[in-house]
Amino acid sequence: MSNFPALEIKNLVKKYGEKVAVDNISLTIPKGSFFGLLGPNGAGKSTTIHSITGITQPTSGQILVDGVDVVKEYKLARTKVGLSPQEFNVDIFATPEQLMDYMGGYYGIPHDIRKARIDELIKRFDLEEHRKVKFQKLSGGLKRRAMLGRALIHTPDLLILDEPTAGVDVMQRHDLWAYLKEMNEGGKTIILTSHYLEEIQYLCNDIAIINHGRIIAHGTKEEFMKEGKSIEQTYLEIIKSEKTI
Amino acid sequence: MNWIGLYTMLRREIQRTFRVVIQTLVAPVISAALYIFIFGSVIGTRIDDFSGVPYISFVFPGVLMLSIINASFASASSSLYFMRFTRGIEEILIAPFSYVEMLVGFVGSAVTRALLVAFLILGVGMLFGAITLVHPLWFVFYIAAIAAIFAMLGIIIALWAESFEQLQVLNTFVITPLTYLGGIFYSITFLPPLAASLTRANPFFYFADGVRSSMIGYTEADSTIGLVVIIGLVVFLGGLVIHLFRSGWKIRT
Repeated sequence: MSNFPALEIKNLVKKYGEKVAVDNISLTIPKGSFFGLLGPNGAGKSTTIHSITGITQPTSGQILVDGVDVVKEYKLARTKVGLSPQEFNVDIFATPEQLMDYMGGYYGIPHDIRKARIDELIKRFDLEEHRKVKFQKLSGGLKRRAMLGRALIHTPDLLILDEPTAGVDVMQRHDLWAYLKEMNEGGKTIILTSHYLEEIQYLCNDIAIINHGRIIAHGTKEEFMKEGKSIEQTYLEIIKSEKTI
Repeated sequence: MNWIGLYTMLRREIQRTFRVVIQTLVAPVISAALYIFIFGSVIGTRIDDFSGVPYISFVFPGVLMLSIINASFASASSSLYFMRFTRGIEEILIAPFSYVEMLVGFVGSAVTRALLVAFLILGVGMLFGAITLVHPLWFVFYIAAIAAIFAMLGIIIALWAESFEQLQVLNTFVITPLTYLGGIFYSITFLPPLAASLTRANPFFYFADGVRSSMIGYTEADSTIGLVVIIGLVVFLGGLVIHLFRSGWKIRT
């Protein structure tokens, strides 16, 4: 294992015309961290995530995943990252099994290894009954689980989860939390964005808040929960104070 | 080279082809069979041979080329546009594909579908006795190169289009007219001098003539010009598509 941080973002800027979506963000996430990225809708969370994964082209700045530049060495960098996006960016006629199979193939995983990995993920996410059901026919929770399976097919070092439990019922959410905790305890670095702040409080050990494209707070969970406050209370205080500036 | 990734792209397109088999394979074969029947058995029997070549043998390479063009263009354009529409393209963008590999993957998939259609139409042609292959290697070169050209045009249109209707623009206003005016059903010796000169400026004339010369050995074009046109288009369009993928035009935000 290298000594590089899991993720280093240096002076990241992303502009859409005159609009600045991400405004000079710098962030370092150490290996093994469970990192919560919070912020209101349109704050720049997804743009930052898309810049890491290659869906968005940064205007300036540098992003390193395990020391690998995501622009200059993009092929290598992409093997290190798994993404479960907020929106269902899939072929709705494909089944969960096919989605994992195609994605595993894209990552260059040989057939036998891919098949074993698909079976493992299908079982882990309790998708056995639905493995051959078209994505469009699945419930919201099953869709989320299929997306997670797809994100994990190549066992990435860094897993990025953008609203992974949106539309997932309470039981399934707790099951998913247990799995994410288990993965993190096994050494995987996870970045999580969520509007469910109890989820962040339960899972994350490092937290940053982004608003108007800038990091406005960054610290450990303990720092966010000092004086007996919940993450939600601290979050609201920070966002409200930001609005009054 | 990400060979497994490229094979997966190809496999996915073949599965997609068979998912809508009536549209992708059955329709072009029926269409080609009708052309062959009408021009071979109905009209062809009343038309004199061209330099010792039956009319159906003269027309068949053009019909085959028409089907290859349509299959290749439709495969690349609909596949990529659908991926843009559903954002499924992000699966490719976050995977370890170079821009050249993306080109090879999309073009290879479209060419494979086109060759599948071509193979089926060749089978129909055999039933009507319309098949000869004078230069098999040149035949493979021409159909593969033509399929690649239209796959790349399909990619460009799929990137440009903002609606399903716009996907049809190039086909309706450029490909279809130039194909039919490219001498697939007639010899340019039938045309007045000005029309014949204009036909020689139509790249589709060289596509049809190349396929025809490889199949029946009859040619009306300067084959050197034809090769320059075809190879030039492959290189130019390939470079353009790689540039568009690298710039992220319409696929990266």
